Amino acid sequence: MKKTGYIFIIFICLLFFSPVLSHTKTYIDIDSPSFRRFPIAITYFKDIKGKDNKGDISKEIFEVLTQDLEISGLFTIIDPSLFIESPVDSKSGNDNKINFRDWSAIGAEALVKGSFRFDNGSLEIETKLYDVFQCRFLLGKRYVGKRQDLRKMIHRFCNEILLSFTGEKGVFDTKIAFVSDESGYKEIYVIDFDGHNMIKITNHKSIALSPTWSPNGKMIAFTSYKDGNPDLYVKDIIANKEDRISHYKGLNIAPAWFPDGKKLAVTLSLEGNPEIYVLDKDGKRLKRLTNDWGIDVSPTLSPDGKEIAFVSDRSGNPDIYVMNSQGENVKRLTFQTKYSASPKWSPKGDKIAFSSLAEGHFYIYTMNPDGTDVRRLTSNSGDNEYPSWSPNGRFLTFTSARGGNKRIYIMRADGSGQRQIGEFKGNQLNPCWSPRLQ
Amino acid sequence: MVKRLSVYLLVFGLIVSFSLFLNACSKKALREGIEKKEESAKVEEKVKEELKGEPKEETKVSQPLKSEETDKAATEAQLREEELKKQKEREEAARKEEAAIKEEAARKEEAAIKEEAAKKEEAAKREAAVREEFENTDIHFDFDKFSLTNQAREILAKKVSWLQGHTDLKIKIEGYCDERGSNEYNMALGERRANSAMEYLVTAGVEASSQFIVHGLITTAGLSTLFI
Repeated sequence: MKKTGYIFIIFICLLFFSPVLSHTKTYIDIDSPSFRRFPIAITYFKDIKGKDNKGDISKEIFEVLTQDLEISGLFTIIDPSLFIESPVDSKSGNDNKINFRDWSAIGAEALVKGSFRFDNGSLEIETKLYDVFQCRFLLGKRYVGKRQDLRKMIHRFCNEILLSFTGEKGVFDTKIAFVSDESGYKEIYVIDFDGHNMIKITNHKSIALSPTWSPNGKMIAFTSYKDGNPDLYVKDIIANKEDRISHYKGLNIAPAWFPDGKKLAVTLSLEGNPEIYVLDKDGKRLKRLTNDWGIDVSPTLSPDGKEIAFVSDRSGNPDIYVMNSQGENVKRLTFQTKYSASPKWSPKGDKIAFSSLAEGHFYIYTMNPDGTDVRRLTSNSGDNEYPSWSPNGRFLTFTSARGGNKRIYIMRADGSGQRQIGEFKGNQLNPCWSPRLQ
Repeated sequence: MVKRLSVYLLVFGLIVSFSLFLNACSKKALREGIEKKEESAKVEEKVKEELKGEPKEETKVSQPLKSEETDKAATEAQLREEELKKQKEREEAARKEEAAIKEEAARKEEAAIKEEAAKKEEAAKREAAVREEFENTDIHFDFDKFSLTNQAREILAKKVSWLQGHTDLKIKIEGYCDERGSNEYNMALGERRANSAMEYLVTAGVEASSQFIVHGLITTAGLSTLFI
């Protein structure tokens, strides 16, 4: 009896202390229905060398931190004017100097502090994350780079913050490829997930479309009319090398990478009708997957590579269908509207996002891969199209014409937190969220 | 009575003054007979002066007063001059006529050239217009459809006859769709629309489908349009 009592006590102790002992404590269970936002205080970082004369650096660090944590939808950022300890003067680095009671008094359960050295164009940022409730240092990171790397460093730190709170790394250092006609031609560009650091990828002075990241994030496949015909290209963005991989007669469009990064599912019309084929990376035709009178286009691979969702108008209108990667077991998934397009399989395999026409506008929807649980995520007037998942499946990027021109937006996978990213000329389309980048 | 009397008196007075005038004239003629030549030369000079275009009223009036001879001489000179003038005028007229004829001919020629150019231009314009009409008369499709409407068939039928006269041309058929509802699907739809048009043309007797380049394209402006 005594023994069992001891074992019971030990068991209880383990139950209580295990989150503390193990390093995988999950502060925020994102998928829990009772999920609540975690109150976090972000202080201005201390300028150690005193060379940030205009305060640009500390301001930008604060802005990026606030933006990323806000976009995550997991935190409530505490208004700095409530801080008892002045946000600018607060010292960082020494745990002993932090008066956690001052922070818990204003409701903060977590605290971000840090410092930076800026000298001769070199920027060194030291970041720290504290659990206010447990008066505990959680995470410290040091980043070294140039002034222009500031955003990247903070994005990475925010990834770490998310990892320690949710057990899953953030996607703040990922990028989005898209098409813009701002130059008068349709060219492919890449931006950070928050719209900064735009890079032009193509200069075809033609129509480039459907950029699609390779699974390793080093290449982008796309369609371009550069040589008059819609041909397929693959651009190695690290080596800055571009290859035209397929230029069969007719359409060479809608590339989708297999998860192994060695094959692509594409739409070709060389045999007269737009059908889905499998190509290897050099454009060699491996297999034809569809064979019907209708248009078959926009394939998207399930993360295990075993299934392909695609658009077909074989029943009269464009709808989303699914088949296995051999082109068998074709099933229609969408029935609710007369026009569904742009399917994208989620990275976890649990959802397919698509756009669908309802009441005169296109909206973004998600559904289970069997066609059930259809949910509309956008409600604004103006078309919302071209969804694409973030690599962790927590966010979607898409285009919206709610403000007039088509712009790139991001939102959380449940449709909350919709915001435009970047402000570019012309119209943007075909946004494609990158995988995690090394 | 008084009226008639005054008339008689007036007539008498006139006769008297006339006879007196004649007398005076004959006397004057005798007196000035020696200076005749000189005088006539002078007159001539005066006539010339007159001909020069600055006639003096004075000269004209004084001439008949001098003598009949001078008068004659003057008249002769005048006649000569007149004849000369007339001749000149005639010559001038002839010249003018000739010039006019030439001008007319030139004008005619020019007009002819112009007309010809205009005709050519018109023909070219007509040809260009026909071609332009051929190129710019689009056929339209219903939303999300690639089957030809009756109107599209009518337009294509017109295009067939033009195409049969221009078998040397390569024809590009572009099926346009807007970007709503995914550009990938629309490119495929555009290609099918272009194919529908091409199949119609080939069936209607336009030779060799190798003459065609078919494209599915997307555009942000305009819905479901096909350009030929």
